[in-house]
Amino acid sequence: MADDSRSGFTRRDLVRGALVGAVAATAGAKTPVEIDRAMGPGAIPMTLQINGKTHRLTAEPRVVLADALRDRLGLTGTKVVCGRGACGACTVLVDGDPACSCLLLAAEVQGKKITTIEALASDGRMHPIQAAFVAADALQCGFCTSGMVMSCKALLDRNPKPSRDEIRHAVSGNLCRCGTYPHVFEAVERAAGIRTAEGNTGLSDFSAAILPPMPMSRRVSSDQRVDAGVAEALDLEEA
Amino acid sequence: MSRDKLRLGFNGRFEEKEVEVAAGDPAPWDPAQKFSILGARTPRLDARAKATGTARYSIDVRLPGMLYARILRSPHAAAVVRSLDLTAARKMPGVQAVLPIAKSGDALRFAGQEVAAVAADTPERALDALGAIRVEYEMRPFVVEIEKAKADGAPLVFEGRVETKTSAGDAPGAKKALPRKGNVQGPRASDKGNVEQGFAKADAVIEGTYSTSVQTHTALETHGVVARWEGDELTVWASTQGIFSVREELSSALNVPLAKVTVLTEFMGGGFGAKFGAGVEGVTAAKLAREAGAPVKLFLDRKEEHLAVGNRPSSIQWVKAGATKDGKLTALQLIVHGSGGTNGGTGTSGPLKNVYACDNVKTEEFDVFMNSGPSAAFRAPGHPQGAFALEATMDELAARIGMDPLEFRMKNDPSEVRREEFRIGAEKIGWATRDARRRVAQSPEIRRGVGMGAAVWYNTGGTGPKATVTIHRDGSAEVVHGVQDLGTGARTMVGIVAAEELGLRLEKIAVRIGDTRMPYGPGSGGSTTTPSTAPTIRAAAWQAKNKVARAAASALGVADDAVESSSGGFAVKGRPDRRLSWKDACARLPEEGVSATASRAENHPDAWKRFTAGAQFAEVEVDVETGLVRVKKVVAVHDCGLVVNALTAESQVHGGVIQGISYALYENRILDRATGRMVNPNVEQYKIAGSLDVPEIDVTFLPVWDGVNNTHSVGIGEPATVATAAAVANAVSHAIGARIRSLPITPESVLAALDTKPRTAATAAGSREGGRA
Amino acid sequence: MKTFTLLPVRSLAEGSRESAKPGSILKAGGVDLLDRMKEGLDTPDRVISIAHVSGHDGIEIGPPARIGALATLARLDAHPELRRVYPALADAAGGAATPQIRNMATLGGNLAQRPRCWYFRQAEFDCSKKGGDQCFALNGENRFHAIFDTDVCCCIHPSATAVALLAYGARVNTVGARGKRSIPIEEFFVAPREDPTRENQLGLGEIIESVELPAPAPGSRSVYKKLKEKESFDWPLVEACVSVTMSGGSVQDARVVLGSVSPVPRRVRGAEKVLAGSRPSPELIARAAEAAVAGATPLSQNAHKVRLARVMVERALREALA
Repeated sequence: MADDSRSGFTRRDLVRGALVGAVAATAGAKTPVEIDRAMGPGAIPMTLQINGKTHRLTAEPRVVLADALRDRLGLTGTKVVCGRGACGACTVLVDGDPACSCLLLAAEVQGKKITTIEALASDGRMHPIQAAFVAADALQCGFCTSGMVMSCKALLDRNPKPSRDEIRHAVSGNLCRCGTYPHVFEAVERAAGIRTAEGNTGLSDFSAAILPPMPMSRRVSSDQRVDAGVAEALDLEEA
Repeated sequence: MSRDKLRLGFNGRFEEKEVEVAAGDPAPWDPAQKFSILGARTPRLDARAKATGTARYSIDVRLPGMLYARILRSPHAAAVVRSLDLTAARKMPGVQAVLPIAKSGDALRFAGQEVAAVAADTPERALDALGAIRVEYEMRPFVVEIEKAKADGAPLVFEGRVETKTSAGDAPGAKKALPRKGNVQGPRASDKGNVEQGFAKADAVIEGTYSTSVQTHTALETHGVVARWEGDELTVWASTQGIFSVREELSSALNVPLAKVTVLTEFMGGGFGAKFGAGVEGVTAAKLAREAGAPVKLFLDRKEEHLAVGNRPSSIQWVKAGATKDGKLTALQLIVHGSGGTNGGTGTSGPLKNVYACDNVKTEEFDVFMNSGPSAAFRAPGHPQGAFALEATMDELAARIGMDPLEFRMKNDPSEVRREEFRIGAEKIGWATRDARRRVAQSPEIRRGVGMGAAVWYNTGGTGPKATVTIHRDGSAEVVHGVQDLGTGARTMVGIVAAEELGLRLEKIAVRIGDTRMPYGPGSGGSTTTPSTAPTIRAAAWQAKNKVARAAASALGVADDAVESSSGGFAVKGRPDRRLSWKDACARLPEEGVSATASRAENHPDAWKRFTAGAQFAEVEVDVETGLVRVKKVVAVHDCGLVVNALTAESQVHGGVIQGISYALYENRILDRATGRMVNPNVEQYKIAGSLDVPEIDVTFLPVWDGVNNTHSVGIGEPATVATAAAVANAVSHAIGARIRSLPITPESVLAALDTKPRTAATAAGSREGGRA
Repeated sequence: MKTFTLLPVRSLAEGSRESAKPGSILKAGGVDLLDRMKEGLDTPDRVISIAHVSGHDGIEIGPPARIGALATLARLDAHPELRRVYPALADAAGGAATPQIRNMATLGGNLAQRPRCWYFRQAEFDCSKKGGDQCFALNGENRFHAIFDTDVCCCIHPSATAVALLAYGARVNTVGARGKRSIPIEEFFVAPREDPTRENQLGLGEIIESVELPAPAPGSRSVYKKLKEKESFDWPLVEACVSVTMSGGSVQDARVVLGSVSPVPRRVRGAEKVLAGSRPSPELIARAAEAAVAGATPLSQNAHKVRLARVMVERALREALA
């Protein structure tokens, strides 16, 4: 068995290395699409405002935003599942609204404010909706999660206290094959509840409370017929 | 080796059993054991990485100079390659490698089969280059309908030897040589007792034919790899359920020593049974990378994923069953024809043979080859299909003898665990009042129905896996084990078991998985991961802890066997005051800490063994004017052995139930009869349940101490999806008073069932016998 | 997707001029267009984008109401005044596709989008809609296809907003090489027997500028209903939209429209005639619904859609006349 650090083989370093060629700078002036200028068909320079930073890249006009993010800029948190707008895995926010980045030309969203999953956590603290996803186990394989989180964030931004039905509708364009929906609903409700109770101030405490330390346990089953001794055994004392 | 007396059983009913415990393996936990973390609701270790988008899946891997590859596929259901011209493709901009996969004269057996591949500097240019490949096909007759494929004179899918794609997760017996006539292979047969005598003894005999659609896995991350050569060593990042089986396949396909192939799966976007091998795409990527002298990424797109890399086979099941009027099953018989396209292994007899007690059981299973993409193992292969037919049969037989379907099942189910699950589930769904709830006062077009189904599964894991646990001088621990996490929570399960055994908090433990350079981990299929891995981890942790105990003994100045674990440390036996904390004991370890590598012990054959049991109940609403079905509630009661993590186990049951609902109502691969092509290779017209289609799901786990392995652990992935479609179908039948014998249940099939329903049944609506067809 | 030159334009007039040039195609939200281009159904050399043209996404309630073609479906759904006056249109827009798509898709694009027929949508099938010589669905896999006008091409029109706009008697305003036109929406769509390769009568370089809706008559009520197999993202099996005006206890005027049943959205005058001048009753509703599906010619796998269409008309009428 080889040890990554000792063999000099670290995957993340290699991945970082691949970012060369895509330059990120701190957010500057807006760069709107230059109207009346034909772009392409060859690769053209583009400037994208992503997560408050200006990113410059060179790509053909046919490159969609999802592929620009993933293949050119290394922002691989955004996933592509169907590539045709039917699954929501590639959901990003464009000027605050959820959109399928697989059906947007990167060249055409220049000047728009693009928010991807990578922007939500800051200073090592998760966004409350992310923390709630963790606590509620609102993810299994995790491949739909970025898109799911973006849809939920957009929902909470405009509707801090959504009903169960509103939550269901808000993620109705996000396909999850593992069937994690019940925990997604629970996560949004947790995040919403905290917002209301703490008025946004207790958020960081909440996310800190999630990992680590581990939260308290619950019984495996709430069913009374499960042997009392069993239930007791499964009920944790504080570790 | 020692013989240990264990208390085994469930629900407070324990019996003493003596089992052989192997040297180096701890004895299974006693029911009185107090756990610190095992069984709690623990957020998964990698949840943060997934929720923040930093989890790196194989499809996310980017290497310097990496090329993007794509595969050209046959558009024809059956053809022979007459010529393949790659010249123009080689000259396309950005192209670095072009590779034939089929050669002139090769038979192509389904639309979507691989023909050639290219690698280029951008994904777009790779696609452009595919368009420059010239292929001449000679079209051949094909067959994509199971009845036609069975008929004499049907075009033969395999003229000569059957060439099937098989994988580590295929249904049992899939690889066994079977007789073949035309496109029909089989039967795989079983015969117990004498069914003719059984039917003769019966007071009621019924028969019915049930059919199910082809379901595609549709894992969100598609099949694929990133392949990189460094000299003669190959490293592959794969989206796989079995890093070691991928290594095996790459090594043999490329003739590279196993020792020089490394397969990595750090994060994985779902598999459901279809991702055990390197596949054509994996081998092709490695070849392209070698030819181009650069790393290559090759991942399929959604359409390719539907066409070429697996599905749950169709089935046409004829079931005959008999029972006495006091409710005893006397005979069960099944003849099933299923098609997995160019693959076999389509049997569905599992539930029929293994759920209810019956002296006379006969089954015959036939594979029917067709010109469509090969099937692959899919979450409980054969079982959702088989359970659908069996449970419908149970309902009908109960109706025929005038017995409540629940009571009928209770009389015939030999599993005391499942009988308890039936009792719990029936109460939660309100079984007793189900007839009274059928009509909805304010909505005359709505009928409610409640149905149930039983789940069975088998696997208890097995030997092979190894794990290394290292305990460091600061008291932290590292677990290294070459398993992969498909999204089931395997990574977290590994950490929890180690934390429990070592008495450490989870954050003191580092879990390293997903790398073939690690000690061997099991392929994740058949719900065997947890029962294979958890006991391995516990054994390694136990052995490592014993080494710390020896350090403590030496520090306390007593013999090695004179200390015992004692509230977060060690104490001299019988002298709790003479103790050393965990931290202090570890501080006495050598610089490199202590390590132990343990192997998974044999299952204890003399333990309290049983099949994994589950029971599910569904409540549906049916609009009798439109035929639309909505599932309102599912109650899932499952035996998951001793649950390692209640939170992720619950997630997995949700997933099994939702996939089952999706299978019951929506999922259907549709092949165009005129061309043999799939018409819905997308997630728009291949319909999968979404957020608005999900009912309330009530999950209960019934802890079982079976003593088969040292953690009593059992997998839950497959049991969770076995009974759902059956329960939904039975609920629909209860609601409308008519039987639907095919999945998916569509508006038109509901309307047709209502139309053909005898008038008497309509007037009987609301009566207890309403489920009678 | 084949490579192309992207030309963002400043005005619809310029878009019209540029998109009339050979090898050019017009793009707004791009939801349908990029899907088709990824499949290789459209392979333009030039994509003329009007996505950034300003001043054509407004919603004015009027009367008459005027909605810019670049208004997104999400805006139609969320516009309180529009929902109050034209609830069927707001419901049609708000129930289409997914939340993400509704944020991207424009009203103009929704009207001009191409059918979702699974044969048309795959490059491998050279169907009559692509200029080929056969409709694969006619004798093929046609569960989701048309039950009316099934002679040449039996696709169904995918626009939900068109169904509502037809019920409201809307007009489609366009700009093109020959200036502006205002086309009654009933005349906007082109049936396959006239030309299977297109769904509407937009000429070369002609662009939808806005949609205009007359003020609803006092006392009128409109209802849009659809039936989907799946509640989450799914295309309807059938849609029904009705707009009724009552006078003195009788139906003065009624419009009945069926969607997802024919190659172009279908106004059913037979049903309207049954209703006009009659007092509402369950029997009247049943007769109107029966009339709505009269003359249906379902295919081998979709006879049930006739029944579903009848039920949805009944339900829409029941609600509108309640």
